[in-house]
Amino acid sequence: MTVSERPSHQAPTLNQSKELKEDAALKSHGQDANMEEPKLKVETGDEWQRLSLISILYFTIRNFTNSAQVLIYTLPALAISFNIWDNLLSPEVLIGAGILFLSTSVSGIISFLMYKFRVHNQHVEIHHGVFQRRYTNLPLWRIQNVKIERPFYYRPFGYALVVLDTAGSGKEEAKIVAVPEDYAEALKKQVLYEKALHDEGDLDCLPNEYLSDEQSSSFPTPRTRTKAIDSSHSNEEVLNRRSVKDIIIHGITNNRVWIILGAAAPFYDDVFGLVSEWLADKGLQLNQLVGEQTVAWWQFGLYAFVILMMLMALVALLSVGGALFTFYGYTLSRTGDRYIRRSGLLNKLEVSMRASRIQMITAKQDWLDKILKRVNLYFEQNSTAGQQMQELMSPNKLIVPSVTEDEAFALSQEVMPECDLRGQDYHPISKRFITFWLFAGWTLPFITFFTIGALSSHLDIMLGSLVVFSAVSLLLTLRWWRWGIAYDSKYVYIRRGRIGIDYQCFEPYKAQQVIVKQSVFMKRRKQATVKFVLASGAVTVPFLPEDYANKLADSVLFEVESTRRSWM
Amino acid sequence: MTISAQQETVFSNNQLSVEEIPSLQTLALLPISKKYRTLNILSIGLIASVLIGIASALRFQRFWSLPEGLLQAYPYVVAGIVAVGSLWALYHFFADVRIFYAIREQDISKQSGLIFRKLSCQPILRVQHVEVNRGPLDRWAGLASLQVFSAGGEMHTFEIPGLSIERAEQLREFILAHKDIGAR
Repeated sequence: MTVSERPSHQAPTLNQSKELKEDAALKSHGQDANMEEPKLKVETGDEWQRLSLISILYFTIRNFTNSAQVLIYTLPALAISFNIWDNLLSPEVLIGAGILFLSTSVSGIISFLMYKFRVHNQHVEIHHGVFQRRYTNLPLWRIQNVKIERPFYYRPFGYALVVLDTAGSGKEEAKIVAVPEDYAEALKKQVLYEKALHDEGDLDCLPNEYLSDEQSSSFPTPRTRTKAIDSSHSNEEVLNRRSVKDIIIHGITNNRVWIILGAAAPFYDDVFGLVSEWLADKGLQLNQLVGEQTVAWWQFGLYAFVILMMLMALVALLSVGGALFTFYGYTLSRTGDRYIRRSGLLNKLEVSMRASRIQMITAKQDWLDKILKRVNLYFEQNSTAGQQMQELMSPNKLIVPSVTEDEAFALSQEVMPECDLRGQDYHPISKRFITFWLFAGWTLPFITFFTIGALSSHLDIMLGSLVVFSAVSLLLTLRWWRWGIAYDSKYVYIRRGRIGIDYQCFEPYKAQQVIVKQSVFMKRRKQATVKFVLASGAVTVPFLPEDYANKLADSVLFEVESTRRSWM
Repeated sequence: MTISAQQETVFSNNQLSVEEIPSLQTLALLPISKKYRTLNILSIGLIASVLIGIASALRFQRFWSLPEGLLQAYPYVVAGIVAVGSLWALYHFFADVRIFYAIREQDISKQSGLIFRKLSCQPILRVQHVEVNRGPLDRWAGLASLQVFSAGGEMHTFEIPGLSIERAEQLREFILAHKDIGAR
């Protein structure tokens, strides 16, 4: 229905938005300066535009990193086959490296020359690609997210990179590589404006059509609407800031090592080489220590402990560095119906998300978070665009790192009013959850290993399997203890975790699919597993009483089908 | 369409008691086509015989000689294929007759599974698009499977297999004609 509606529907929106622009232009003389957005010259006209020259730098760096990524995989092979380290400075290698370097640098210029874009008739059009030419055409109102990135080498010159994201897939994103910052902001505002208009048109398209067909621009409704949209976009309210201290706490409680480790991957070998050399220098040789029985066991234990501590400290330090790298200067703010996250040390990253798109709130508290009374809060959007995106950068999940419990509570209420994650009386799951997994999953391997140990009279195998088995049963018990579900008239809450606790909360009308599972054995004991599929992923609660699970499933379905509210 | 439009104009929001909420337990479940089981068992047989054929061809060809170990393994390989194939066929023999589906005004449900019985329910309001799929064997048997996609992602595609082609088309039409489709 929407598809058939589009062409007829599109025209009025266009007309109307032009009309609105005129309105706003008239009004903006009398009002604040931040009223200007609809009349900003975002449109570049018929002509194709080149990027600013600074983009050559961007393309070059991008091409360099791309080829470096390929090289990382080929280097070991090359090194082995050519014994490259022995004749590192031989002319062949130097020439090869030179050619590689030159071609990558030139490729930046070529990429720049092959890239052109225009914003025309409410569409962003981009021609790009060197060997594989691509043409991207994005209608402004179809754009879901606008990210503005400022790589550090852009900042002195006042340029920015605009990433336009559509609802479709992760591949369908368009980058306008280098535009002046003002233009980037204006384009973003225009997109948001266009989108808001379009969405409003979606809600009440009938009156809209009548309006633009019959009435003149003197009709009051569009004017008030512009005002509403204007005011919603212009006053941005900061909801949360994270100080350096908060981010350091986040780095300690969460393992953000990989941010640094990932960036340093090419230098691993060197680092390990250096470290072992350094250790050897200090007269500490590991194989010597273990091989010869010159040191007492406690001395050895002490060494191991010290090294472990040093490693832990190093890891924590790296993790803090990683956290600072991504979250420095974190702000979460709201303009109108959007939440915007800005952060980053070198590259300022901006992610914005519409409030209505948020499918679920997740509050994660690991054991260390629990001691420090901190919570990581996630606002989750639909996850159709590439699951394997970097979690922290992903526009699908808006993370608020290491907030205090009260802040988490306030923020979750900000996004989902009256949602009370802590105050719920969670319905526990059955203890059969423990016995089921213990018997179905772990008893067989345990018995196998135990008997192997017993038969071959290896006490360590027997003890090991016993320890693993009891650890598993402890974890299962913890998991059983945490897992629960609650449903008040407005939200469904889920509590889960093993050592840490996660709280999840979603609005039942946003469910995509409801599944009730029951094995033959569960049926006999009148138990069932219930699973709700949301656009952001599925949540499962196992081993609930059959009646309760069915009632929950029915209520959620009823909520979806009777309210008929949109999930987006 | 006209009736539903009329219904929408009259706003009602009556209090409902829990008993009045439609229950999944009272669904009138319809079985899928009986041919589906036969077809599945047949295709398992086909796959098994192709695999056995390949093994036998390797075993008895005269072009190059195989190591002694592989020659000895041949009967075990065949036995393994037969065992796995018959277990698989046995599963389908019992499980396929336990696939049911049901349509209500607002949603479409499927029950399936042998030991783990699974009842999934897809509100039509949330359907993004619908496909009727027919593989070569399906076409030969006059069967089709209905796939219903929601924003829940690839993993949670709602699929009813083994429908007669007429029924699959009918269901597709029903979903597409539903006034909620495309409402997001």
